[in-house]
Amino acid sequence: MTGSSSLPRTTDPSACALSAEAKTIHSPWLGEIESDADSELYFPAGMPGFEDHHRMVAIEVPSQRPVVYLQSLERDEICFAALPVYVIDPSFRLDLSDDERSVLRLPEDGDPSIGADVLCLALLRKSDRTVEASTGAAIVINLHNGRGVQCVPREGASVLFRLCPDNGWRREC
Amino acid sequence: MLVLRRRVGETISIGDGVEIEVLEISHTRVKLGVVAPRDVPVVRKETIAVAAENRRALELVTDGPGGILATLKVLNGGSLRRP
Repeated sequence: MTGSSSLPRTTDPSACALSAEAKTIHSPWLGEIESDADSELYFPAGMPGFEDHHRMVAIEVPSQRPVVYLQSLERDEICFAALPVYVIDPSFRLDLSDDERSVLRLPEDGDPSIGADVLCLALLRKSDRTVEASTGAAIVINLHNGRGVQCVPREGASVLFRLCPDNGWRREC
Repeated sequence: MLVLRRRVGETISIGDGVEIEVLEISHTRVKLGVVAPRDVPVVRKETIAVAAENRRALELVTDGPGGILATLKVLNGGSLRRP
């Protein structure tokens, strides 16, 4: 499973991810959150559509596990909800490009272990009356250095999952 | 579609400010260098689709986390995680 235990956590939406020198974020969606430099994630290239947002923090609200929130440290109103990819697709295989490995500063050879070396999250989004996620566009975070990147699947290689009533996550393509 | 043949080190010019140079060719891939004005976005085409998905993902949270959780629970048999 993913390394959710290594994430910064909140005890409730108004609590936080912290230690010394905490910075306060006023998230309109999660309330007031405290975050310190150790829990900060750095996305050198941002994320597609949000290229100017480089500093994020991952927040777990214990009562909402396994949902993980990715909150921008640069703009309070930028916040994404995500799930560890294994929750959506237990057969998920991480396939990083050379560029993505370079951004994460991972060795060129050998696959990183999900949970021990990297955290893989899939962003959730609305789809009619349900929720969907593209595991091919996973957010990958190097747990050793806090660097993050969003994978961009090759054209035609995107993998879409949709949450179906009582059937869990179903692969659509 | 205009089709041009180029070798490593050769360039294609588009309009006034865009140049594309072939830097490296391997068996299955080609490495390109792009020079463009700062206001001209240069991205891989598949990135555009992910950007659109990310904007939709942002909308999910702006509706409030309560909405997400309710949707996940209803669709997932009352639990956030499948048993």
